[in-house]
Amino acid sequence: MNRRNGGTDGGIRARAAARLTRGIPLLAWLLGALLAAILESWFGRELADLLDLPRVPVLFGFEYALNKPQLIPATLAFLLLVYGVPLVLGARLLRAPANAIARALADRAPAVSVLVHLALVYAVLHLWTDLSDYRLIVVKITLIAVMLTLSLNVVNGYMGEFSCSHPGFMALGAYAGSLVTIVGFTKSQMFGPPLLPPALGPYLFPLALVIGGAVAAVGALAVAIPSFRTRGDYLAIISLAFTFIVKSLIENLEAVGGPRGLRGQPDWANLPVVFACTVLCVGVINQFVRSIYGLALNAVRDNEMAAEAMTINTRRTKMIAFLFAAFWAGVAGVLFAHVLRYVNPGTFGLQQLAEVLAMMYFGGLNSVVGSIVGAVSINLVSEMLRPLEIWKWVFIPLLLILVMIFRPTGLIAFREFDPLALVRPRDGGGGRGTPRGEGR
Amino acid sequence: MKNVRFFAVLFAVLCLAALPAAGQKTPVLKIGINAEITGDIPKVGEATKYAAQMYVEDVNKAGGIEVGGKKYRLELAIEDNEAKAESAAKAATKLITVDEVIAIVGPQASKQAVPAGEVCNNYKTPMISGWSTNPNTTKDRPYVFRACFLDDFQGPALSIFASQEYKFTKAAVLYDVASDYPKGIAEFFKKDWEKRNGPGSVVAYESFTTKDTDFSSQLTKIINSGADFLFTPQYYNEVPLIVQQAKQLGWKKPILGSDSWASDELVKLCGKDCFGHFFVSHYASAGAKGATKEFIDRYKAKYGSIPDDVAALTWDAIGLIGAAIRNAGKLTGDIKKDREAVRNALAKTKDYPGITGTISFPPGSGDPIKCANIVKINDKGEFEFYKSVCP
Amino acid sequence: MTVFLQNLVNALQWGSFYALIAIGYSMVYSILMLFNFAHGDVFMTGAYIGCGIALLLVGLGSAGILVLPGWLVLVLTLLLAMVVTACLGMFIERVGYRPLRDAPRASAAITGLMIGIILETGNLILLGAQRVKFPALIQPVTYELGGVFVTNQKIMIVIVALGLALALHQFIRRTRWGMAMRAMAFDYAVVPLMGVPINRIAALTFALGSGLAAAAGILFGMAYPVLDPYMGIVFGWKSFVAAILGGRGSILGATLAGFLLGFIEIFVAMVFPSTLRDFIAYSIILLILVFRPYGLFGEPYSVRLRL
Repeated sequence: MNRRNGGTDGGIRARAAARLTRGIPLLAWLLGALLAAILESWFGRELADLLDLPRVPVLFGFEYALNKPQLIPATLAFLLLVYGVPLVLGARLLRAPANAIARALADRAPAVSVLVHLALVYAVLHLWTDLSDYRLIVVKITLIAVMLTLSLNVVNGYMGEFSCSHPGFMALGAYAGSLVTIVGFTKSQMFGPPLLPPALGPYLFPLALVIGGAVAAVGALAVAIPSFRTRGDYLAIISLAFTFIVKSLIENLEAVGGPRGLRGQPDWANLPVVFACTVLCVGVINQFVRSIYGLALNAVRDNEMAAEAMTINTRRTKMIAFLFAAFWAGVAGVLFAHVLRYVNPGTFGLQQLAEVLAMMYFGGLNSVVGSIVGAVSINLVSEMLRPLEIWKWVFIPLLLILVMIFRPTGLIAFREFDPLALVRPRDGGGGRGTPRGEGR
Repeated sequence: MKNVRFFAVLFAVLCLAALPAAGQKTPVLKIGINAEITGDIPKVGEATKYAAQMYVEDVNKAGGIEVGGKKYRLELAIEDNEAKAESAAKAATKLITVDEVIAIVGPQASKQAVPAGEVCNNYKTPMISGWSTNPNTTKDRPYVFRACFLDDFQGPALSIFASQEYKFTKAAVLYDVASDYPKGIAEFFKKDWEKRNGPGSVVAYESFTTKDTDFSSQLTKIINSGADFLFTPQYYNEVPLIVQQAKQLGWKKPILGSDSWASDELVKLCGKDCFGHFFVSHYASAGAKGATKEFIDRYKAKYGSIPDDVAALTWDAIGLIGAAIRNAGKLTGDIKKDREAVRNALAKTKDYPGITGTISFPPGSGDPIKCANIVKINDKGEFEFYKSVCP
Repeated sequence: MTVFLQNLVNALQWGSFYALIAIGYSMVYSILMLFNFAHGDVFMTGAYIGCGIALLLVGLGSAGILVLPGWLVLVLTLLLAMVVTACLGMFIERVGYRPLRDAPRASAAITGLMIGIILETGNLILLGAQRVKFPALIQPVTYELGGVFVTNQKIMIVIVALGLALALHQFIRRTRWGMAMRAMAFDYAVVPLMGVPINRIAALTFALGSGLAAAAGILFGMAYPVLDPYMGIVFGWKSFVAAILGGRGSILGATLAGFLLGFIEIFVAMVFPSTLRDFIAYSIILLILVFRPYGLFGEPYSVRLRL
């Protein structure tokens, strides 16, 4: 490895860390994480008692670190024992078999390999959230934020426009999807008895998701048609006006509750559904941006004239990408409404917009991984810093400003995300899919 | 294997350091506060926090709360819901599953209270909102209560007052269409008024959107409509703007308001322009007697301002919970059973002497029965009791 | 007719605020090609600073130390607050925007948003959740002209707003600094090579914009004397709409678009049910943009996004 700076103190640590993690495939890390999650769910409570912690630290112990500093050592010990040690040890011990499995899977059926990894991720999440319902709701909202951020990245990152209409799309999706499930499958005061047998509901929930997404996409047409006539920043205000218009429209629609909002969505957005939707969203968007459409989109962003000259139908390309992004924002809206089981037009305002924009640019332009990292980190940080109360809203903006100053395109920008490369074995050779940077 | 040794040492140190972190065990009951501390309406969160803290200090100074012969110390778990629906749901979940509170006060605004109520009802945890008037908050939710009266009582109460006291026949209404509280009251008022004075008797029914500060075009319409008075169920920070602009546009008739006017900030922000107008209130701070006066004086001494309606309602909300805990009989230590017991005691509340009136919960409903007071802003800028309207 | 005239007067006042804020947006946008999303909160901070200065001067007056007539207090408040807020604007430029000048434009938009949040939260931490009343520096007098009610405040607000916009316009047309700014707006890349000090121009741009925002804040405080820490958000975004509606690089355009936005909002509420105001008002703006995609006074241009 890096032997040149072996003499310095930092070098030793770096080398130790490198040796500790060298050649470990993602599969082994996931198995280690699974081990940690199992350990926590079996022995977490006992261990917390042993360490005199009031309970298992919910989000990595931040509630103790910021409120009761005398508990920090115990919390650290807990984290090390339950997360650190099993993760590293498990990953290291399982390195060889995991590599073998990863190679076998990658050589024969790469798709299956990806599925196995996803199943492991889900298992870890399931076990981890099983311990505390607070974690569950945080994870659900975070996954929805991933979808939103990613779909925004298609427009603002890959297409290079500045769109402010995501809260509007989300609102359209949330209301359309809620109407489908409430009118269709539940008994409500507003809409009377269900039209279809409620037992069918959970199976037809994907239909509600698709309808929500489709309505958002139709709404996107209203933005796309006027704004893609020209290049420039007019999308920014047209989309902003769109957000105002949608909010105002819903507030005036007494049939869907007006400003009182719409309540009574069935409880179908459980973790498997939200997780599946998020995975599907990430997968489809990743395929899209790596496809010929995605490349055309980048060409349009970098130089519209040149792209036109290369026979790209720029207007059509932009339209498709915009509607596509709106669709996923709509799906995220449906899930959002069903996680909270209540929607209110006030939710889809400027604050929501600022949040989505912040998550997207923090994570990184033009990058699927970046959006995932951005959404997850901002959501988790904002939950973990709850004990800071109002100071949280000084700390988080400062953090974002620093990130922007030192990494102006965001944390992980312009990186192509290749799931096959991610799941390949790490002990040299074998496996298809090699990392393919797209840097500019 | 230097690094292994390093980790082993680190680990041992951590374990050792962890040992002395033990505390003494006194029985503690936790009450959750889910309030709008940051976001659009920070004043609401602040008042909620202050009133709740004052209550808990009182109880603990008296040695704690006594249930079934055993004394418990009260503790608050305060969460900020950032005036966002999803944050309110998260905060409620955190309070219930992580902090293991016995009951929750708040959120106050309906946008947050409806989703948080869903969470609390699912986890069978009693929740009481001081301020939320949206029917959805408590409807079909046995575990969710509120401390304020509802729009369908307050709106008609004002309509009765205006038509009987002044024999007015033509009303004008100005309200915020994007906020469910003013909208609800405005609608109920309009319905009741037209029932009393015939269709078309609300001659101007104008609205604006949250955060607007200019109402001139609406007020111009209202002034030209020939209404006898203006009813504006807006918050105390918007009322001064409405009243002053109306005056500047030549309006000289009375203006009526709802319980959301009740804050000493109203007079501070509005000055003389607001004198002589009426509003419905949970309580009147000028000339208050007994427990109400005591509360107002102590709150003022402690935090330097006269408590607004949010503070008073929070005080009653947490007081209702305190009373319910006392009446729960015996606490088992099993938080789920205790929550159930507190909820049952809360639902049976009858004639609780709150500072905002006597509160009872009818069977099967979380909406209290209580009287409304009509309050006049007198020439000294005080809120003076004028008349009481009961359901 | 009186209704129409009355609303015209109201709209003039309402549009003045949009115009003053939109000018600041428009200047930064045309010269540095950035969206300065902190601008709405600079407006808010300016209003608070003005309120502080006014309270101080009024306090000095009532203590008998420095007795000034009301109009002089107002002028002093206006000038001092504009200077202080201009310094704040330059500080924001230095900290939040200069390090990002060669970054993608959107990154600067995010720092702007975040600086805005810090200003809001800082205000909340410093002053508490209490709302602040802006002191009445001039006693409002209402004049009735043939059924139309006009106050001295309204007249003053419109005159001051128009005067400031005109002064800025002259500054940009007639001075060397203004010429440098116009040149920068014309070609961002080449002009610095001609020896124009880009950093100083950028600082000046922010200072001018923030000064105008502070003026808007104080005028706003005179007309609507309730200040709260979040009052800048909606104003900021709507003025952003006005700035772009005006067209790139046009002070005149931004001013007119600000007034236009005020007129649309007021007159839509007059003609249609006021519940539908935002819906109709922004639909109208969408329509305008369909027919004039580069804004009212904008020239077609191609943005080379610095991605």
